[in-house]
Amino acid sequence: MREMTEFLRREYEEMEKQGLTWVIKSLNGPSQPHVVVDNKKCLMLASNNYLNLANDPRLKEAAIKAIEKYGAGAGSDWSIAGTMDIHVELYKKIAEFKGTEDAITFQTGFAANAGLIPQLVGKGDLLVSDELNHGSIIDGVRLSKADRAIYPHSDMSALEDVLKDADKKNYRRIIILTDGVFSMDGDIAKLKEIHKLAEEYRAMIYVDDAHGEGVLGDGHGIGRHFNLEKEIHFQIGTFSKAFGSFGGMLAGSSDLIKFAYNKARTWLLSAAFPPHVAAANIAALDIVEKEPERVRKLWENTKYFKKEIESMGYDTGVSETPIIPVIVGDSKKAKELAERLYKEGIFALAIVYPMVARDKARIRNQMNAGMTREDLDFALRVYEKLGKELKII
Amino acid sequence: MRVGFIVNPIAGMGGRVGLKGTDGVVDRAIKLGAEPVAPKRAEEMLKKFLEIHEMDVCWLTCAGDMGENELINSGVGRFDIVYVPRYPTTAEDTKKACMEMIKKRASIIVFCGGDGTARDICSVIDKKVPILGIPSGVKMHSGVFGINPDAVAKTLSEFLNGELSTGEVEILDLDEEAYRRGEWRIRLFDTALGIVEPNYIQAGKAVFERVPDEEIKEEIADHIIDIMNEERDALFILGSGSTVHAIGKKLGINKTLLGIDAVYQMEQVGKDLNEKEILQLLDKYKKAKVVLSPIGAQGFILGRGNLQLSPEVIRKIGLDNILVVATPSKLASTPFIRVDTGDKELDKLFKKKGFFLVIVGYRLMKVVRVQTNNL
Repeated sequence: MREMTEFLRREYEEMEKQGLTWVIKSLNGPSQPHVVVDNKKCLMLASNNYLNLANDPRLKEAAIKAIEKYGAGAGSDWSIAGTMDIHVELYKKIAEFKGTEDAITFQTGFAANAGLIPQLVGKGDLLVSDELNHGSIIDGVRLSKADRAIYPHSDMSALEDVLKDADKKNYRRIIILTDGVFSMDGDIAKLKEIHKLAEEYRAMIYVDDAHGEGVLGDGHGIGRHFNLEKEIHFQIGTFSKAFGSFGGMLAGSSDLIKFAYNKARTWLLSAAFPPHVAAANIAALDIVEKEPERVRKLWENTKYFKKEIESMGYDTGVSETPIIPVIVGDSKKAKELAERLYKEGIFALAIVYPMVARDKARIRNQMNAGMTREDLDFALRVYEKLGKELKII
Repeated sequence: MRVGFIVNPIAGMGGRVGLKGTDGVVDRAIKLGAEPVAPKRAEEMLKKFLEIHEMDVCWLTCAGDMGENELINSGVGRFDIVYVPRYPTTAEDTKKACMEMIKKRASIIVFCGGDGTARDICSVIDKKVPILGIPSGVKMHSGVFGINPDAVAKTLSEFLNGELSTGEVEILDLDEEAYRRGEWRIRLFDTALGIVEPNYIQAGKAVFERVPDEEIKEEIADHIIDIMNEERDALFILGSGSTVHAIGKKLGINKTLLGIDAVYQMEQVGKDLNEKEILQLLDKYKKAKVVLSPIGAQGFILGRGNLQLSPEVIRKIGLDNILVVATPSKLASTPFIRVDTGDKELDKLFKKKGFFLVIVGYRLMKVVRVQTNNL
């Protein structure tokens, strides 16, 4: 007999049995280094709010002013009647910031990837994707009708193999897709090599810089970091991380932007994000531009924490950015450590199989420009104590 | 959970003294100074398992040194004896014991032995129940073995906890006929149900979907059929194994599971072919592609179980016309593609190629490195 909603509970319980379900904790106030989570005071080591702008008074003020002028919502889809002059101002600011001809916003970075990628390619094209790319890229790639080749993480000789092989097959278009900063390991994409190969084999480059903005290239992202701003054909980014706000962005040539807003379904069929979000985003871009010391502080904290935690004996894998995983090994142990950390007042995320290999479960720590030396030392002391108790170090 | 546990007490004894196996030659082995290996390996596995597995297990086993002694020596207090062998024990005892375990509803059969033992068990259980081997034989090419007793203990525990899946694995063993002619050839005898890593595909941000083998194999079949439609002037030679078998199923032809078949424009033009027949077909149809899948415990696409695809056949087809297919689950246990054609120069060409774009889904390929025996 045909089933109705029974499958919902059945599949949820199956996931629970396998330890694959999420336990959601709630913040009782703003996201910043000192937070209250489920009514417990914690040091926040699990947020993308790298520059501590999520609760910045200037963003709040800009948002409040915009609410007063434009209201709480945009009232319509981007394409129909939801685009406001403040959104258009934001596009210009993004293009300036990223060093591109033009730019546009989406609801989220996810929406940008899922909506744009399927429009860029079709049957007879090839998408070449790093094994560890973000799920939104994977979704965008799946939605397309192109062939897809996956190369082992950051393995440039494998990438070359794929391109060499592709050369023999007469693909119409080839796009190489990569995260700028990989969010599980905190390593940076080998963009210089990717660019060299892309030029050699005539492929386009698509970079999702969500964890690179506000972090690399004096805050301008991976393009600036490697001096390749003009060479990246498709640049995706987000305002929800270092910029402390919300929304996704696409930066590139004006041809790209015109193509994107006429073809991406996640833009055409989605409501414009509220004008106060645009205002906060503009304020954030200004701050990152004018306050390089913020990015410097983020890196100071990163270097200090990484050095100290490594000297205790922890393995930080291949981290090169403020994302600093602490590799524990066994999934159960990682979950236990995360719970003990929370009890001691540290909120950090355990990442276990199947998101990472079985024996490479970890706790992911994310640094923040708003943390003080005392904050970091507190975290380090707790990590040292628990690491010894759980026999990790 | 009921676990069938069976030890082949003579497995592995032939190896140390240079015999090709132990079945039927145990007296010779003993005369040559061989000592039992399997019981100790079995006990190693059990001791590790008891260390790491938290829940109680209902063990079904055989009397004496076909399981009972090993369980007792490892500290397992409770078990059911479902079969009492006569001495000296033979392959018949292994088979009868397994049939009893199936009758008593075992969820898995764990055995200690080699390819010979695996074949014996496989012949009576007909893929009803997964089998997991503690490697303790002379030959262990089949895909049912863990790497060592500790790994088997871990796998068993994870399986009982629901963390692993079952999937088709290949049973390989020495080709006795070829051996009598003086050649050492590993042949594909059958497929069995083994314990495999699940197929996890990333289905969204931080969400992993566990996809059944059958679904992935169908996707792969769709992809190959697309290629067949695009290259209508090519002969398609289909290798052995269940992933390639699924292609035959989609085409509606009766593909042999263990043999090599040929298809032209979606019609079967050759069944269970030998080398000569393949070469004749290659002469007839100027252009050809061959679809291969990694076989056995080590992921060989050539050199194990499909020697009909001789070096001459491969050279005629061309390395660029080899299509490798595998489910993510298969690649998880065999992360390299291995080649051992027996022709050193041909192997070198594979080494030079260095990699395959393995088809792991519909229009989805993954770069996998090649390893040849002459490293």
